[in-house]
Amino acid sequence: MAQESTEIARGLRRRDPDLLDRLIERYQHRLLRYLMCLTGRRELAEDLFQETWIRVLERGHQFNDKYAFGTWLFAVARNLVIDHMRRKQPASLDGLLNDGEAAFDVPATGQASAFDTTLQREQNEHIAAGMQHLPAEYREALVLRFQEGMSLDEIASVARVPLGTVKSRIYRGLSALEPWLKGAAL
Amino acid sequence: MTADAHERARKLIALDSSEELSADQSSNAWLVAHLETCASCHAFAENVGETIRGLRAIPIAAERSLVSTTQMRVRRRALELQSQRERRWLVSVSCTAVALCALLSTVALWRGFEWLGTRAQLASSVWQVGFLVFCVMPALLVGILLLAKDKHLADHTGSYTG
Repeated sequence: MAQESTEIARGLRRRDPDLLDRLIERYQHRLLRYLMCLTGRRELAEDLFQETWIRVLERGHQFNDKYAFGTWLFAVARNLVIDHMRRKQPASLDGLLNDGEAAFDVPATGQASAFDTTLQREQNEHIAAGMQHLPAEYREALVLRFQEGMSLDEIASVARVPLGTVKSRIYRGLSALEPWLKGAAL
Repeated sequence: MTADAHERARKLIALDSSEELSADQSSNAWLVAHLETCASCHAFAENVGETIRGLRAIPIAAERSLVSTTQMRVRRRALELQSQRERRWLVSVSCTAVALCALLSTVALWRGFEWLGTRAQLASSVWQVGFLVFCVMPALLVGILLLAKDKHLADHTGSYTG
């Protein structure tokens, strides 16, 4: 991984467009999912997705190859979201999803039509709806941990908070989602 | 059983789900024992498991058009940055060349004025003032011309409005 990071750092310093093409392909779903988690709106997430890669191109020389590229990428995306929110509404990220807009498109999960699939889909919809109602910092911790599979340390460096805060956010986020899961089971 | 014990158990469940405490055998053993006796924490553990499975199952995919548009924008921006860098390099080379020429010509002019002053048997202050006037003259002329042009334009516009 260290060698890969070194190669990425070298390519970013050169502003190698082929490398960026490959990175965009590789991180497309993960980055969009993360941005949707923070913004709650697909169009905005897609705009910020593009801006993130432009920022990666412009600030690529700042990437430190001691860290994983994904961690740095998410940190860049996070900063862009915060900048955007400060411009739009000078409050914290907490109020992001309180406008009742539909978030988290949950498309059909394949062609299996068994009862379990329907139930699972319903449950996913409930969890996605529950995610909308969580404070942004809890959502972020849950997405990075359980969807992106990041370690607690990596989440701490993306969110720039102490490890204890990350643990607490995961715990509180999961606790806050519990009623939504119960709602799904009803 | 105290509320603290439930709180501790729930935190352990959440973090254990994060696979961060699997190495902590004593905490795990305590948690297992607690879950055997506490129905609410047991239910919480099951719910957490379901929630995590649900979170992992939420499919959000980037569309092909988004990826290609982004790649195109990045390439275009890379070209812009490349041309900006080339322009900046050209400007800095030009500035260096101009500075070098100015330095060399100033020295040459100084020596020229000194030679003329000696030939004409002038006091050194005279040819030095001459050198200064010669150096400042182009800038002065340009300044005067610009001021005259501005005044002319102002008068001209004034005649229309007045």
